[in-house]
Amino acid sequence: MTTLRDRRDDPADPDERRRLSRRSFLGGGVAGLAAGALAGGLGGAAIAHARADEDAPADVSETAVPFYDQTHQGGIATPPQRYVVFASYDLTTTDAGDLQVLLARWSASIAQLQAGRNLGTVEPSRPSGVPTDTGEAADLGPNALTVTLGLGPGVFDDRFGLARHRPARFDHLPELPSDRLDPKLTGGDLSLQACAEDPQVAYHAIRDLSRLARGTAVVRWTVMGFGRASAGKGQTTPRNLMGFKDGTRNIKTDADLDQFVWHDGTDQAWMQGGTYQVARKIQMNIENWDADQIGDQHAVFGRTKQEGAPLSGTQEFDTPDFARKDASGELVIPATSHVALAAHENNGGLKILRRSYNFTDGMDEYGQINAGLLFIAYMNDPAAFVTMQTKLGRSDRLNEYISHVGSGVFAVPPAPATGHYVAEPLFG
Amino acid sequence: MTHHPSRRARTTLGAVGLAGVLVASLAACSSDSSSGDPAPAASGGVSKVDVTLTSASGSDACDLSTASVPAGPVTFTVTNKDSAAISEFELLSDDRIVGEKENLAPGLAPVSFTVTLGGGQYQVYCPGAQNDTVAFTVTGKAATPTGSTQALLQDGTQGYGDYVDGQVAGMVTAVGALKTAVDSGDVAAAQQAYGQARPFYEKVESDVEGFTLPGTDPTDNSGNLDYLIDMRASNLDPAVGWHGFHAVERDLFQKKAITTGTKKLAAELDTNVGKLAELSKGLTYKPEDLANGAAGLLEEVQANKIKGEEELYSHIDLVDFASNVEGAEQAFAYLKPGLEKIDPDLTDTVSTRFDDVKTLLAGYEDPDAVGGYTTYTAALKASDSAKLSQAVQALQEPLSKIAEKVATAQ
Repeated sequence: MTTLRDRRDDPADPDERRRLSRRSFLGGGVAGLAAGALAGGLGGAAIAHARADEDAPADVSETAVPFYDQTHQGGIATPPQRYVVFASYDLTTTDAGDLQVLLARWSASIAQLQAGRNLGTVEPSRPSGVPTDTGEAADLGPNALTVTLGLGPGVFDDRFGLARHRPARFDHLPELPSDRLDPKLTGGDLSLQACAEDPQVAYHAIRDLSRLARGTAVVRWTVMGFGRASAGKGQTTPRNLMGFKDGTRNIKTDADLDQFVWHDGTDQAWMQGGTYQVARKIQMNIENWDADQIGDQHAVFGRTKQEGAPLSGTQEFDTPDFARKDASGELVIPATSHVALAAHENNGGLKILRRSYNFTDGMDEYGQINAGLLFIAYMNDPAAFVTMQTKLGRSDRLNEYISHVGSGVFAVPPAPATGHYVAEPLFG
Repeated sequence: MTHHPSRRARTTLGAVGLAGVLVASLAACSSDSSSGDPAPAASGGVSKVDVTLTSASGSDACDLSTASVPAGPVTFTVTNKDSAAISEFELLSDDRIVGEKENLAPGLAPVSFTVTLGGGQYQVYCPGAQNDTVAFTVTGKAATPTGSTQALLQDGTQGYGDYVDGQVAGMVTAVGALKTAVDSGDVAAAQQAYGQARPFYEKVESDVEGFTLPGTDPTDNSGNLDYLIDMRASNLDPAVGWHGFHAVERDLFQKKAITTGTKKLAAELDTNVGKLAELSKGLTYKPEDLANGAAGLLEEVQANKIKGEEELYSHIDLVDFASNVEGAEQAFAYLKPGLEKIDPDLTDTVSTRFDDVKTLLAGYEDPDAVGGYTTYTAALKASDSAKLSQAVQALQEPLSKIAEKVATAQ
């Protein structure tokens, strides 16, 4: 399949670029996750659809995702953009008013950034003025930026008087099997997930929003990710740094989103239309993996590498047959393979929406590649992740090649209406 | 809003705390702001102006309930109905800031401030609005100039000038004592004297670092007094060599020996500090110089002290840190009476954040250590530098806004 990026990288094909439709992206991809052609990634279907719309703006750098008056925040069901900058924050204030103002100013600023506008001015008219926008994204366009704002369990502890608003199922994640968490990469009172088609746009969003937080919150940990390691609806399945397709069986229908992702507001009405975000920084033992034979790599994942087919089938989207045995009576998809342990068939029907990205932090102190997966998932009950990771942490064959080193869980409220801000009902 | 100097406020407590205190009805505010409006609502002689920030199809507006009020006290109440683009409101007179509100965002409660205005033409400035500058008229007699914000700021600059002169005089004495201790050959005594002498330069560095010896080329470091007094080993000009405090520091704390060379360096430092005192005597300052100087001192903290690069051998970086902060706070304190009239919220925020930094620094006081603060070891740097840096960042951000305010004060 041809991706949008392929086309953008090809200067000989300007007409093709011009035909790509912003409107089709917004209509299909962002606003409703409706049917048919979804852009953002994008598959050939989207491009074909776009050809009918000659009036639309030229390329994805001009794509803007609306912030206000949506049922859900962006960056969850939005088709995954190519880049992420994720940041977790510690609140340094103990004043609920400071938190309230931060959430209000973040919300207004995110609305501006998603529209591709500066935060105030890059160049004040008075010589003694200090620029309010740092400027590095000034000419880049919105690039489908979404910034997703989450509240950590700490927001509901005794610091801010908000304990009565804590959803019953929301708390710090328990210690899970195989966890090797670094405290410096774990936790946080707030999270921002900035995703965009241009990494500098995502970086600028986090940088300027962090600047706005100075005196109220400080960055605790942050990861810059690339490669969109989980497919959204209508997207071809991308690959993680182990070279395997990731997200083949990801949630892609509205019915699944309603059942597994969106909070129904039962115990806390302010969470209706919201969700929970689990972020895990997963380091890969890249060199060991690279030296592993293909047969073992297949057995670890339970899928083939090139096609991504379950070992029980031949095509990527073949439904895995976890009962099938080979001539010698062994399961074709090993019971301890990643796909077998994570499959909804083997977890009482449980599904989560994955929205992960690859990352690299250069070399580590041991002379090894420091890289892996920033696993981000959305679900309407954090227990879903706990259940799945407890099982994976115990017996996943992949554990030989990965370590969960960072972790955070955040309640993601619904999007605000015009004139309001994220989590405003907490301060009513 | 009336300012309460004793209130310990964070960024925008006003936004939260004032809900309900003020205007009951904010709905009827966005009237046409053409001339000839009826007299505005007034109670107890205070005129009221409602300012409403709105957005419609990507175009943001800043509307006033009235474009004209009689001279006297005026309360502006700013409501951000749904403008994500506008976060600031300023009342200007001839490009000078008379009053303002920041941290405005849709969904927050309205905020207010009260200013006493004399007759004349003013402008309302809402950066981000389509109509970002709106004319505002005050009828009646012009304001009397006495007690103006500018006068308060001018008083402050004079007080600050005296403070700088005092610090420079203290430095001359303390460097003289350092020279005496070095001449005595007693390393421990000289180390103590070094710790005593350092703070003076660090408190006023941004005011005194620009001096060159008369008649020398500004690009020639041999005539640059800051180079000759305070240069670190990492930034040496090979043509000029090493002089000053840090060359003495290396002998006292790394070599732990006083040689003929050390004595020569200390004597030369003593001479150059004397020259600096002569050249800097009676300097005068503009209000924005104080603000920029304070910002410069905090930049020094971030660039050199947090990283432990300033005092590479003695590791008394926290002494310099505390001195930079003290100098910055003094500059701020002298601006405070005027700044409070322009932007009481910002004044409170900066005061609070200075307090936060000082509280943090107080945890490192050690009367037995050289200079009175615990040694900034590699282990301490590893464990505490992020915390120290973030506290200073939280102060730098609001402090960086002061220069513009005081430069444009009326």
